[in-house]
Formats: sequence, C-alpha cells, structure tokens
Amino acid sequence: MSFVSLGFLIFFPVAAGVYFRLPQRFRNVWLLAASYFFLMTANPAYALLLAAVTAVTWTGGLLIAREQERGGPGVCRRKKRWVALSLVLAFGILFVFKYLNFFCSLYADLLAALGMPAALVKFDLLLPLGISFYTFQAATYVVDVYRGDVKPEKNVGKYALFVSFFPQLLSGPIEESKNMLPQFDEVHRFDYDRMRHGLLRMVWGYFEKMVVADRLGTLVAAVYDAPATHHGAEVLTATLFFAFQIYCDFGGYSNIAVGAAEVLGFRLTDNFCRPYFSKSIREFWRRWHISLGRWFRDYLYIPLGGSRCSKPRHCLNLFVVFAVCGLWHGAALNFVVWGALHGLYQVAGVLLKPVRRSAARAAGLRENSLPGRFLRAAFTFVLVDFAWIFFRARTFGDAAVLIGNLFRWDPAVLRNGALFSLGLNAPEFWAALAGIAVVLAVDLAGRGRDLRAAILSRGTVFRWAVYLTAAMAVLIFGAYGSIHGAQQFIYSQF
Amino acid sequence: MVRKLIGKFCVFLIITGVFLTALSPLFIYKIAHRANLIQGLYDSDDGYDVLLIGSSHMNGGLDPNVLWKKYGIASYNYATGGQTLETSYYVLKEALKKHGDPDVVAVDAFYAACSAPYGESALLSNALDNLKFSANKAEAIFQCVSPRDWVSFFFPVLKYHFRWSTLDPKDYSFFDTASFYYTKGFDSGLSRWGKSDVSYADTRNKTAIPPKSLRYLQKFVDLSKQYGFSLVFLNFPADYSDYNKMDGWVDDCEALFNSVADFAAQRGVPFLDYCDRMDEIGLDFANDMNNASHLNLWGACKLSADFGAYLKRNYSLEDRRSDPAYAEWNLDYRRSQAHSVLG
Repeated sequence: MSFVSLGFLIFFPVAAGVYFRLPQRFRNVWLLAASYFFLMTANPAYALLLAAVTAVTWTGGLLIAREQERGGPGVCRRKKRWVALSLVLAFGILFVFKYLNFFCSLYADLLAALGMPAALVKFDLLLPLGISFYTFQAATYVVDVYRGDVKPEKNVGKYALFVSFFPQLLSGPIEESKNMLPQFDEVHRFDYDRMRHGLLRMVWGYFEKMVVADRLGTLVAAVYDAPATHHGAEVLTATLFFAFQIYCDFGGYSNIAVGAAEVLGFRLTDNFCRPYFSKSIREFWRRWHISLGRWFRDYLYIPLGGSRCSKPRHCLNLFVVFAVCGLWHGAALNFVVWGALHGLYQVAGVLLKPVRRSAARAAGLRENSLPGRFLRAAFTFVLVDFAWIFFRARTFGDAAVLIGNLFRWDPAVLRNGALFSLGLNAPEFWAALAGIAVVLAVDLAGRGRDLRAAILSRGTVFRWAVYLTAAMAVLIFGAYGSIHGAQQFIYSQF
Repeated sequence: MVRKLIGKFCVFLIITGVFLTALSPLFIYKIAHRANLIQGLYDSDDGYDVLLIGSSHMNGGLDPNVLWKKYGIASYNYATGGQTLETSYYVLKEALKKHGDPDVVAVDAFYAACSAPYGESALLSNALDNLKFSANKAEAIFQCVSPRDWVSFFFPVLKYHFRWSTLDPKDYSFFDTASFYYTKGFDSGLSRWGKSDVSYADTRNKTAIPPKSLRYLQKFVDLSKQYGFSLVFLNFPADYSDYNKMDGWVDDCEALFNSVADFAAQRGVPFLDYCDRMDEIGLDFANDMNNASHLNLWGACKLSADFGAYLKRNYSLEDRRSDPAYAEWNLDYRRSQAHSVLG
C-alpha cells in the first residue's frame, strides 16, 4: 500500500482510531497486525521475508544475550559468532533477493572479459518492498545488543513491530533499536495538538510528493528514458529537476512517515535538513537521508576505523563506505558509481582542504562570509546534481550518453519552446518551478523555528486557510488519477 | 476531544466538498454530450412527446429532426456514448423531472448485452458528469459506477484536475449549450463503413439476459407504468463480431436480443430490432453505417423515417409543425444534419 493511495487514506485513520481505542495491552498487537496488512496489500509473499529477517535477528539478539549471561572465557568470540551468523543470514536474504542477479551478471561479464563467455544465470526473484530498510534496521538491533547498547527484546511481538512498524516500513527512516524499542512500551494517549502537528506534516509531505516531485518527474522521465535524443538545456533542465524531484519525493515520503508516526505518538528521526543548502559534501550527508548516513557512520565507517587512522586509510574508508552506500540503493553499476563519486568527493574534500583554504585566502574570500557560503553551497549543489545523473539514469551507459549530451548546446532550445514539449506544457513547467521555489522557501523559513507550531498558533481563519489551500493544491495540482497513474516513491524500490 | 476532532473533520470535508463541487463544472469537458444533456434536461422549456434514451447507437441512430420534418413529432435524444442500460434509466428519470409527460419513451436496448458489473468509467462520464446533483444522481453513481470511482463521479474535478493547465476561455466563461439545441441531442458520423455485416445470423437461439440488464429492463417497464408513457425497446443495426468476443459482453448478441424480444413480449412492450429489419427499411450496411456498430447520417435518416412512421401508426402523436410554440423547430431543422440529406 502506497502512502499515495486511497487505500492508505482509509487505512491510516482506521489504524490510528482503533489504536487509541484499544486497551494498552492490545495496542502493539494491533499495530503489528496493521503493519503486516499494510505490507501484504502489495504482495502477501513480502510478509514471509519480513518475518524471516525478524526471526533471524530476534533469535540472534537472544543468543548474544545468552552468551553474555553465560560469561566465562571466550564470551566475546562466542558473541561475535552469533552476531556474524545473524548478520550473514539477514544480509544473505537481502543479497539473494536484491543483489544475486547483479553479481551473476557481473560474474558473466568478468568471464566474458577473460575470454571465457558463459551463459548468464538469471533468477526470477521478486524484490520485496522496503527490504533494504528493514534489514538495516534489524541489523542495528543485533549490533546494539552485541555492544550492550540495548537489552535483548524478549517479546517477539514487540520486536516484530520494531522491524515492521508501518509508517517507516517501506522507506525508513532507519531507526536505531535504542531509540525505537522503548517507545513501544510508552502509553500514547490521544493528543489533539500532537495529531494536528502530525497531520500538518503529512499534508506537507503529500504536497512535496504529489504537487512537486511527480510533476518534475514527468520531464525527468521524458529526458532520462530517451537519453540519446536530448541535449544541452534539455539534459541540464532534467538533471536540475531530478535533484528536486528526488528531494521532494523522498522528503515527502519521510514527512508522511514521520507525521503518521507522530499522530500515533511515536517520534521518528528527521531524515532531511535542508540538504541543498549544504556547504560541503560532508555536510550534505549530515542533512540528506540522515538515518542512512548515521547507519553507515555507526555501523560501517567507524568500525572500519573512521577518521582516527592514517590519511590514506581514512580516504579508503570514505570511499568504501560510499561505494557500499551506492550499492545499497540499487543493484546496478550506475548506483555504485553514484556512491563512489560521493566517496571521491569526500576524499577530494579531505585532500584538497588546505588548497581550498589557500585559494579562498588568495581571492580575499572568507569562508563564512555570505558570498563564501553561497559559493560553497552552489559548488556543493553542482557536485551533488552531477552525481544524480548516475543515480537517475537507467544504466551506466545512459549516464555516459547524458553527460556527453549535456555539453552539446543548442541555444534554440531555449527559444523554440522545446522545453515545453518534454511532458510539461508551459503552465505545468512554470508550476514545477514554482513548486521548487515553494519547497526552498519553506526550507529557508523553517531555519531555526518550528513552522508547524507557528501555523498552529495562529487564529482559526489563518489555520483553516492553510489547511484548505494545502488540500486544494494537492487535489487540483497533484499528480494522481488516470492520467498520471499510480506514482511510486523512488525510494520504495530500494 | 474525539468528538471535537470528528466535528472539525466533517466541517473540513464539507468545505472541501463545496469547493470541489464549485470547481467541477470548470473542469468537465465541454463536449456535445454535455451541451445536449444540459439543454434537454434542464434548460429547454419545450415539451417532448417522445424521449429517446440510450447509448451511442441511439445517439447517432435516431434523429429528432427527421421525426420532426416528416411527422411533426417533438422529440429529444438523451443518448450519450457508452451510456449503459442502468445509466439510461437514471437519465430518463432525470428527464422526467422536467419533461414528465411524454407519450412514448424509446429505449436503446443494446447495453442489455453487457454482462460487466459496470460500464466503462470514462464513457459513463458522458452522462453522469452532466446531471445536476440530486438524489437521482447519487443513486445513479452508486448503481452505475464502480465503488472505487464513486468519489470522482461526485466531484468530477478529481477526474479532470490535470486539465488546469489546458483550460481555455470556453471552460472559464461561456459554454454556449444553446447553440447545440438545434440537433435535439442527435449526433451522427459521416463516414461510410464499406463492409457488410459479418456477424448477422437469423438465429432463434436465446441466451440468458445478464441479471443487471434484466433488472433495469424491468425498471423501465415499471417506470412507464408509474408515469403513464408507452415504452418501446429498440435495437440498432450493428456488427456484433467484436462484442461477441469481448469480455464483459454476452457471447452471442443475436441470441441475447431474441431473449430481450421475449422479455418485452411477455410485458406487452414493443421491441423493434432493426438488426433484423435492415432489408425492410432499405438499409445498406456497407453504405449506411459509420463504422461496425454505429449508423451514419444516411442510415440514421432511413431508420428515423421508419421509426417515425411506426410511431405515427401506433400512437396518437400530435403533429406540431404548425404549433407556434415550436416555430423555432423548423429553423432548427434547416441547420440540422438531416436537412442536408432530406432537403
């Protein structure tokens, strides 16, 4: 079930209404049933994999704790053994269903390159929705239990709810067990103000997704699905649009997820914090998909040694982490290249830091001055947007074609209306730009203040005007219905 | 607190519904079906002795201007493309609100052969989007439309919201439905199909009428008794080859219409199956059809002339050609498609 579906608009109020009506002891059971139902509406088979990952990691947590209790010599080794086994099994499921065909294809290509062509083995496997997200979330639990950050959860139902909680099941945020598990023991009473905050956040998410992201996506698809036939300004426009499409798509999803959880009384991690105002790639990753960045930092980057090692090793750590991050997004070469490119950006950032400072000094530009910050933010955006080409292109080859075509300029395109023939007519095109402006303006206005609280503290007329304007904007200008078809969230495929 | 929340939510829904209702006419396509229904159902004050109800077969098959020219019969064609039998029933009920005293109502029975639970959503819009909101419209939506489309039929703007960037002055300010009135709802194609009817078989086979069709055929009979008009079922010439193979249609349309004939006979309702009478009225399938299942203008003139004669023979219909109240109808005829054929 997608958040952008009539089904969800019926499901969510029912799930929330029943949740608050039930006695406390039945609430987690209800949420667990609702979460599995939510997933199974897409495909009942998905529930089997979710249950398998849940069972493996829950059992792993108990076994690690048992070893801890037994103590004695070799406890650390025995705990590590259970951690390794749990993670191998959990990530093994992820590997089989998401990456097996990719690696089979790589293997076949390698053999062919070595002059030993072999038939490509391809498995007909379904890609379960949200598997990358819930596997990573379940993995945090195993590692946290091993590290002693959380106690093992004895209640399998509560643990299963932690892995499957429907607002975050399909595309995160990837929560840490120490943040999320205790919340399932809290008593959540219905709170009118909290509900208003949550709903307002959800409405903003729907606006980002349906009014902005899906409109931008029309033009992006027109160019990226036929890369050879588009050049210069068309590719540039599509690439700029994609930067905001994916931001509004994933940001919209995250806002709906966090808002829905907030209505129910749960606090999820914010996944975005004005990422396109970042002044470096490092800062970008502290503001973009925050829960995933934190996961890679805590569970891969730091265990690899992080930055507390030699500079070459630090650079290698950065590169490896981002290459894996790319692979996490999709089993294809273009995703790996996208991640590796971000790794290279980071490595270059580390290595060229003295050079950059010298250059700024030579130009008489203070790093923290307004022009300095603007230039750094603009440069960071250019780097990020260039990398998005690999992310959005269907294949690495398509990305190469698009980059080549990006520099084949035909100024006539800007005058002859060709930009308005890429799936968006002129009013739609300007509406897309207006949508980007609104999103950036709200981002800017939200710096250092709680916009929702500001809106909700105003008088009835103002608040209702906001509610109704938002609803009408989504209903009139949103992408839904027979013409647009069902629009999936980009990250739901990961 | 919960009661307060529910109350506010209801107020929010009502206000949103009011906005959507107000915006819907702006977004609905301004096509001939809309003009014809608005004129025939609501705007025209003319009295009609004969109401013509049905699908595109009726819409392009029976021309009120021919009935007028040849017999002085005042009639109006309320048919729209894809109008299922049950939709026709509610359109007739809507027409009877203002034109509640017809002598004859002719109903196109073609969609009796449809076995799907609902008609095609996009085609149902031709009729249902253009009914004013009322209990009758609400019932029509509940009965004719798949539940998943109910909301968008109550608030058509939700179906057509994507048109916001292509709305033109006709949408914003003025859609002159009165300029369509001279057609009296009729709209026929001008192509010549050029092929013979390969599906026709003079069969005595019969097949069960789909339950929903049976229910609505009976509802038409009941309505005729309630309002005191004479009911006539019609079937228009068509090549059923494709329909017989399509999902959602009976496998043998010829056999189905034999069953409809039995149904009508048992209730004393005439059933004119023009599929069986093409030779009788001099209809040449290749030249008088617009395509495989719709008459063209010339075919419609032939069939309309025959049907008018039938009406004259069997019902006491007044010749209104010299009635001053219908003076405009003679002018309307001169603008009509039929004028180019009949002179």
